[in-house]
Amino acid sequence: MSKKVQNHIARKPGDYLFDGLIYLLFGLFTILCVFPFYYLFINTISDNDKVVSGLVNFYPIGLHFNNYIALKDVADLGSSVIVTVARTVIGTALMVIVSAWAGYLVTKQKMWKRSLWYRALVITMYFNAGLIPWYMNMLMLGLTDNFLAYILPGMIAPYNIILVKTYIESIPGSLEESAVIDGASTLTVFRKIILPLSVPILATISIFGAVGNWNSFQDSLLLMSNSPKLYTLQHRLYVYLNQSSNLSALVSGSGGLSTQAAQNMLSSKVIKYTVSMVTIIPILLVYPFMQRYFVKGIMLGAVKG
Amino acid sequence: MQANAVLPAGRTVAKEKPNHILRLCRLLVLVTGLMIFFPQVNPGRIMLKINENASLFTTAISYETLTNSVGRPLRMEWILPWHFHMLMLGAAIVLVGVLLCCVGGCMSLGNNRMKRTGLLFPLIGSVAVGGGLVLICHMQALVAGLEKADKLEPIFPTGIWVFAVAAGLIFLTALISLLTLPKEVEERMEMEEKYRLFLMFLPVLLLAFIFCYLPIYGWRFAFFDYKIGDALTAENFVGFKWFTYLFENAATRSDLVRVLRNTLIMSGLGIATSWLPIAFAVLLAEVRSTKFQRLVQTLTTIPNFISWVLVYAIAFAIFSTDGFINSFLRNVCNVAGANTDYLASADGIWVKMLLWGTWKGLGWSAIVYIAGIAGIDQQLYEAAKVDGANRYQCIWHITIPGLVPTYCVMLLMSIAGILSNGMDQYLVFENALNKDVIEVLDLYVYNIGIKQGLIPISTVVGVFKSVIGVTLLFGANGISKAIRGESII
Repeated sequence: MSKKVQNHIARKPGDYLFDGLIYLLFGLFTILCVFPFYYLFINTISDNDKVVSGLVNFYPIGLHFNNYIALKDVADLGSSVIVTVARTVIGTALMVIVSAWAGYLVTKQKMWKRSLWYRALVITMYFNAGLIPWYMNMLMLGLTDNFLAYILPGMIAPYNIILVKTYIESIPGSLEESAVIDGASTLTVFRKIILPLSVPILATISIFGAVGNWNSFQDSLLLMSNSPKLYTLQHRLYVYLNQSSNLSALVSGSGGLSTQAAQNMLSSKVIKYTVSMVTIIPILLVYPFMQRYFVKGIMLGAVKG
Repeated sequence: MQANAVLPAGRTVAKEKPNHILRLCRLLVLVTGLMIFFPQVNPGRIMLKINENASLFTTAISYETLTNSVGRPLRMEWILPWHFHMLMLGAAIVLVGVLLCCVGGCMSLGNNRMKRTGLLFPLIGSVAVGGGLVLICHMQALVAGLEKADKLEPIFPTGIWVFAVAAGLIFLTALISLLTLPKEVEERMEMEEKYRLFLMFLPVLLLAFIFCYLPIYGWRFAFFDYKIGDALTAENFVGFKWFTYLFENAATRSDLVRVLRNTLIMSGLGIATSWLPIAFAVLLAEVRSTKFQRLVQTLTTIPNFISWVLVYAIAFAIFSTDGFINSFLRNVCNVAGANTDYLASADGIWVKMLLWGTWKGLGWSAIVYIAGIAGIDQQLYEAAKVDGANRYQCIWHITIPGLVPTYCVMLLMSIAGILSNGMDQYLVFENALNKDVIEVLDLYVYNIGIKQGLIPISTVVGVFKSVIGVTLLFGANGISKAIRGESII
C-alpha cells in the first residue's frame, strides 16, 4: 500500500501517458485472447443462414441452441465424446494415484537403492527415444487400436511425481513418525496421513492431468489409425476441420423428419464451429478451478526435485 | 507386516552370507519376466504368419493383435479360431507361471520364513510355464499338420527353447535354495523395510521401464532394412547404412537441411522473443487497478489450456475463406471480393507460427515472472524511492535484475530444447502450399516415419535428435553450473 501512496504523490503527466498506454496494450491483448472464443460461440447460437452469409460478427442474431442438439446425429462424434470423457476420468484418476504413491515412496530414505530409482524416473523427463521407437514399442505391446493405449502410458508422469514428492517433503515428518510408533503400516500412513495432507497438490496435478487428457491428440493420431471409433475428440475435430467436402453429409440418422431438418439446418461451417465449441467448453468450465492452482503448481515446479 | 517389521528381527537375514544360488534364481526370474515383453522370444509365434511384433504378453491377452496378420487364412478356414484360442490359453498359462515366479522372486527378499513360502511359487510357476509350453508345442504340431500348412508357414519358435531352459533353471535354483534354507525359521513372515519399500515401488518402476525405457530398444530398427510387418533377421541387417545414407543421399540431405532450417528459425524466433513474458509481467505490475490486473491475467491464460487443434479451429474461424476477417471485410467494410484464405498461403509462415505461439503462451509464461515480482522485497523499492529513483529506474534496477535468474533458467532450457518444437502446432497448420517452410524436425519424423512408413530412416533422425538434445541439455546445465553455481536439471 505504501508504494502506491508514494506513487500517487509523485505522478507526472508522463506517468498518465504511460499508464494509458499500458491499459490500452493489455486491453487489446486481452480482447485478442477472448474474442475468438466469443466469435465462435455466437456463431453456434445464431440463425444458421445468417452465419453462412457471414453476418454474425459481433453479436448473436436469431438466438437458438438447436445446433448443439443436432450434433447427436453427427456420425462418430458420440463415440469420440465417450472415449475422451472415459480417458479423461480413468486416465487422470490412475495418474493421480500412481503419482501420489510414487511421490510418497521416493521420500523414503530407507528404500533399497532409492536415489538410483528416483534418478531413473527423473531422466525420462529429459530424454526420450523419439517418436518412431515409441510408436514401435506401442505396436510391440499390442497397444494400437486399443483403448488401453490412452490409459497405461499416461499413468506414469515423472514431473507430477516430483511435484508430489516436493510437496510431501514439506509435511512435518513428526506426523508420520508418531503414526508409525502407534503401529501404522506404510499403507495406513499413506492413506490416513499423507493423502489428506497433500490434497492441494493432488488437486493441482489432477486438473492439469485432466486438461492434458482432454487435449490429447497425438496418441490418437498415431495409434488409432484403424479404429475411427476410438478417435479422441481433438482428433475427430481435426478430421472434421480438414474435410473440405460437405460435412453435412456426415449427419446421419435413421431417416425421418429430424434428420431432414438437421440436414437443412447444418452447414459444414456450423458443424465445425459447434464441434469446436463442444471441445472448448469443458476446458472453460474447469478453468476457474484451475486458476486457483496453477500458480502454486508452476512455483512448485520451479523448485527442483 | 505391521510395526515390528522395522524392529531388528529382520537383521538376521542381512547378516547371513550372500546366497549365490538364490541370487541366480532371482536374476533368472527377472530376465524371464522381461522376456515376456520381447517379440523375438515369443514362444507363441508358431508360424511366420503371426504378427512378428507380438510378444508373449500380447499373445496371451490380445486376440486382435495375434490374428491381425492372419485375416486371410482365417477367412479361407485354413486355420480355425479355436487354434488361436488354444494358443492364447497356452501363452496365458506361461504368463501366469512367469508371474508366479516373479511373486516368488519378490518374496525371497524376506526372512527365512518368507523365503520358505515364497520359493514354492517359482517351483509351481516353472511347472506351469512347462505345461503352457507343452500346450503350445502341441498346437504347433497340430498347425504344422494342417492341410494348408505351407500357406501358414509353421515354424518351431526358438522362444519355446528359451522359456523351457529358463523355467528349468528357475526350478532347479529355487529347489536348491529351498533345500539349503536353515531348518529352524522365524515364526512370522517378515521383510526388511528397505526391500518392502522397494517392492511397493516396483510397479511404478515397471511402468516407467515399459513406457519410457523400452522404446530405446526400438533404436534397433535404425540398423535394419525394415518395413512394418517385416521380421528383423540377419539378411536385412544393414549396419550403419541409414546413418550414412541420410547424409550421402542428395534428396534426404536437402530435406534435412530444409527441415533443420525451419526448426532453427522457429526455435530462434521463440528464443529471440523470450523476453516478452518478462515485459508482460513487468508492465502488468505497473497497472494500478488490481481488478484489471487479475482480469488480464485470467483471460490471457485461457489460450494456453486449449490444444493446438483447437487453436487451429479458432484460426479457421477467424482467417479462413468465410471466417471473421473476410465476413467483416465483406459485410461491414463492403469489400466485395474479400475471400482470401489466410491459412493456405506460405507467406510469412514463420512469423505467423511465432504469433500463434505467442498468442497461446504469453499469458501463461508470464505467470512465473508475475510470481517472481511478487516475491521481490518491497523494502528495496521503498529504499530506492527514498534515494530519489523514479518509476523506470525502479523497474530497471530492481524488478528486472530480480527476474534475471529465472529468465536464465528458462532461456537455457529453451536452448537445450532447440530441436524439439513439438509437432502438433505445425501438423495442424500444415498444408500442401506451406509444407516446405513449416515442416520442423518433429513433424518431418512423423511425416516420413508414420505417413510414408520409412521406419529406419526416421528412427535414425530420431536418434540424432535425442543424442543432440541430451548433449545440449548437459551443455546448458554445465554453463548454468559454471555461471550461477546451480544446476537446472
